[in-house]
Amino acid sequence: MLTEKSMPALSNEERNFLAPVGYEDDARRSGTCILVDQSVRYVHSEDPQVEIMPLKDALGLYSWVQDLMFGLISPDENEHVKLAAERTEDPVGHFVRVREGAKVRLPLQTFSVIGTPQGRQFIHDITVIEKGAEVEMISGSAVPESVRAGHHVSIGEAYIHEGAVCRSLTIEQWGVDMDIHSYNRTKVGAGARVSSNQVLVAPVKHHASNSVSFLGENAVANDHSVVFAPAGANRIMRSETHLNGKGARSESLTRMVTAGGSITNEARLVGEAADTYGFLGCDGLKMTDEGEILSVPALLARHSKSQLSHEASVGMISEEKMAYLMSSGMSEDLARDLIVEGFLNLKEQDLPSEVRSSVKAMIEAAKSGSM
Amino acid sequence: MAEQILGIRGLDVAAKGVPILRAVDLEIGAGEVHVLFGPNGSGKSTLLSAIMGLPPYVVSAGEIRLGGERIDGLAIDERARRGIGMAFQRPPAIDGVTVEDFSQTLGSADILHREAASLDLADFAARHINVGFSGGEVKRWEVFKLFLQDPRLLLFDEPESGVDLEHISAVGDAINRLMRTPNRAGEARSALIITHTGFILDYIEADVGHVMIDGHIVRSGEPRALFESIQKHGYKTMQP
Repeated sequence: MLTEKSMPALSNEERNFLAPVGYEDDARRSGTCILVDQSVRYVHSEDPQVEIMPLKDALGLYSWVQDLMFGLISPDENEHVKLAAERTEDPVGHFVRVREGAKVRLPLQTFSVIGTPQGRQFIHDITVIEKGAEVEMISGSAVPESVRAGHHVSIGEAYIHEGAVCRSLTIEQWGVDMDIHSYNRTKVGAGARVSSNQVLVAPVKHHASNSVSFLGENAVANDHSVVFAPAGANRIMRSETHLNGKGARSESLTRMVTAGGSITNEARLVGEAADTYGFLGCDGLKMTDEGEILSVPALLARHSKSQLSHEASVGMISEEKMAYLMSSGMSEDLARDLIVEGFLNLKEQDLPSEVRSSVKAMIEAAKSGSM
Repeated sequence: MAEQILGIRGLDVAAKGVPILRAVDLEIGAGEVHVLFGPNGSGKSTLLSAIMGLPPYVVSAGEIRLGGERIDGLAIDERARRGIGMAFQRPPAIDGVTVEDFSQTLGSADILHREAASLDLADFAARHINVGFSGGEVKRWEVFKLFLQDPRLLLFDEPESGVDLEHISAVGDAINRLMRTPNRAGEARSALIITHTGFILDYIEADVGHVMIDGHIVRSGEPRALFESIQKHGYKTMQP
């Protein structure tokens, strides 16, 4: 088993490239796990209410963890998942457990890093938030400046038990020529509440995400994603939210901006039970004639007392709004930045201030590279 | 006449190939307030838009000068930075951009907090620009925006339309206060105000009035006398 003593502390370089995606020192986090390439680089927690360890260790420690692995996703889901399921090496990924009733004061953080040029990474993460526990989670991905290309495949399975509360923030900053495939499955127990903010703004060659959530009775899920695609980026997001339990509620807002890249967002809400409510908001903004946004919200009501709705829009930056702001003396670039930032609604995102400024910097950098 | 701030000569303006203004001449001196009357569709708003450089209006003949410098070939923001500011009649809503973001981008956050209360906009800092604003709030914001921008030439497109009587006086007071206060460079401000109803004349001191009909300025003179004539006889007697 990996122990903390066998792991060297993070270098300044590592801290520096992880900071823009939310990393903070141990004193400001209830737990930390950092995966680099195919190994657990760093794991730490001093909070007795939080268990955080390599998944391999958790499988050895708790027999029930093996039931959670591939509990929400079939090993036959597709070629990527099958490849991960059939790997003969030890699984690489984190196991996070927040104990029943715990009110975790500091956020918990987990990060994935590809540290080797043309690195290959297969990750399987398991998260368990036990009954009545409350926690905030920050997760992200990053690469050192020297790494541009690589391939990452991740599977994440999260079990949010009855009455638990989980707020999460995910910020991804992969290399510009990387190929990313992520599969996330979340089971939200009765009366549990999850809210997630996802920030996908840094340049990446190809990023395909596939997520499915299952909500129990009176469970609530709110998610808010901001997505940016500079020229050369191709982002494909597919999500499904199943309102399985009576009274389950879900609201999902996605704001997408292309500055020449391609974004596909296919979101589906499925009303499976009585008194369920769901809303999908999928809005896209094109900054140039290049690039494309495909927004496909879908509603499937399987119960007569399920109320589902959606709003979707895709359009260019309004000439009228640009003229209005420029008539106050703002340059064209300033006016465009203000409109884009407003559209992405970064203010409404529950972002730590240092992350907010790094997200703005990512958008700036991505735009300057693409326009 | 005072130093000329705005000089328009022989101005023809078209939108999407359709002529709207023809042979417009207009001069506004430093510190002067001019009002522009005219029926709906006469081209009043087009004139303001052409001065500001807003699309889709294109100057097809003539010239516009600001402080002697020809500006009709300049971009909107370049005109604004030279000292033109406009209060729009129907401004767009800009979701996600707060009043505070706007003033910070203009570098006038200090003015935001100092002046907002005078227009009953003290709680506006966190609101998104023109999103969910009432008719009166839109007008007050449009005037307040000019405090933040600090222009030398103020263009008002129907500042009283959609405003209840109580707030017309607040808008009028704010316009007066703007006019009385020199800009940061110490220059006297001038204004061109479009009014359809004439109500704003009860609250501001106007120096010159003009009547526009079918894209022409057909008459200029003392503003109250012009307005009384319009009230009595309508625009029929003023046809070009």
